[in-house]
Amino acid sequence: MRLLLIIPFIFSFLHADSGILDIKWPKPNAKQQKPSIPYPKVLTEGIKDVKLPVYIPNSYAYDKNMIVVADKNFYTISFLFKGATVMVSGDKTYQESVSNKQEFKEILKTTPAVTFEQEEGIMTAEFNRHGVNYSIEIECDKPESDERCTETKLIKDLYNRLIMVGGRA
Amino acid sequence: MKKLLIIPMLLLTIGCQQKPSKELTDEEKKFTYSPAGKLTPVKSGKGRNGDNYIYAPGIRFPIESAPAYLNSQVYGIGGLFGPKGSLCDEKNYQYPWHDNYCEKRRWGMPLCPGGKGHQGVDIRTATCEKKKYYAVAVEDGTITYIGKYTVKLRGKSGRTYRYLHLDSPSVLVKRGQKVHRGERLGLVSNNMGSTKTSIHLHFDMKETIKIDGKSKKVYVPPYTSLIDAYKRLLQGNP
Repeated sequence: MRLLLIIPFIFSFLHADSGILDIKWPKPNAKQQKPSIPYPKVLTEGIKDVKLPVYIPNSYAYDKNMIVVADKNFYTISFLFKGATVMVSGDKTYQESVSNKQEFKEILKTTPAVTFEQEEGIMTAEFNRHGVNYSIEIECDKPESDERCTETKLIKDLYNRLIMVGGRA
Repeated sequence: MKKLLIIPMLLLTIGCQQKPSKELTDEEKKFTYSPAGKLTPVKSGKGRNGDNYIYAPGIRFPIESAPAYLNSQVYGIGGLFGPKGSLCDEKNYQYPWHDNYCEKRRWGMPLCPGGKGHQGVDIRTATCEKKKYYAVAVEDGTITYIGKYTVKLRGKSGRTYRYLHLDSPSVLVKRGQKVHRGERLGLVSNNMGSTKTSIHLHFDMKETIKIDGKSKKVYVPPYTSLIDAYKRLLQGNP
């Protein structure tokens, strides 16, 4: 009986309270934001309204075939390759707020700064930077045999090569 | 003057009369579901028992038409770890629905007991036929990404909904396209690149949860939101 009373109480801590996360803006790197060779228009135009730090791997910053989907609160940039797609995204919104719930406190406490995992055949990196939630994903045509999706080498490399190419407060 | 008063009084009386309760359709009568977090079979994992919170209230059901059957693919008949038989066995196409959000998987799922789980739920269409039934947008939003077997919709709510295993050539939307709730996205199939899978829609919902000034983006349980959406679909009010 006690358990029956506790269960609804446990889940009552969640609130459908959406909003914008606080961003701790990094010191802009002028070299990255205004490079000697200008970034392609598809990137500069695509992210011009984005109000969060925009990170992409430096090796892909000049890819004119990138596809940018963005508004002021998020961006998703995808790069198409033979047999795979790479996606990088950032999001500064939240949809629920939690007060005083131990389960979520534990989740935050135990989450590593960055995680690399294959999920549903898709190699994924997730991390929080400056208060914003980011992810990198690699989706392969052959998820079980393509090393880009079975090994973490490429995703770690992409993560380590991230540069801030734009975004404004 | 009396006549003038009679008409509004009559209208008021009619308006105040209790509407006769709408009769349940046959499909509504048939629809049953097991509790959120109760995984079937038991060996398929430990669910998030007791979480009846509707994380995405008011969403449309992600498959255009009923019936649809939410249950395990991997542990169902003909599945990788299920009883031997055909994936098209009629027992796979029956109510009750069974939650499979925390079904055993290799990858991390912070909201599942044990920290690992499925991320979303698997839904079978009315019949075991691929490229026949449409997946549709669950809310107004923007298509942010399309991969080999993935379509991602970012809803106006900020939630990201992921549709897996649609037939690629049938996908009707493009990256960056604005879509309306209920708009067709593509046909449900068994596409997972070169990896074999059954005919079903894998549907998941990712949102950011804020706590004490910090935040984390997580896959949240879709089961109760989908029960609510499916009931509305059956009532003809999706």
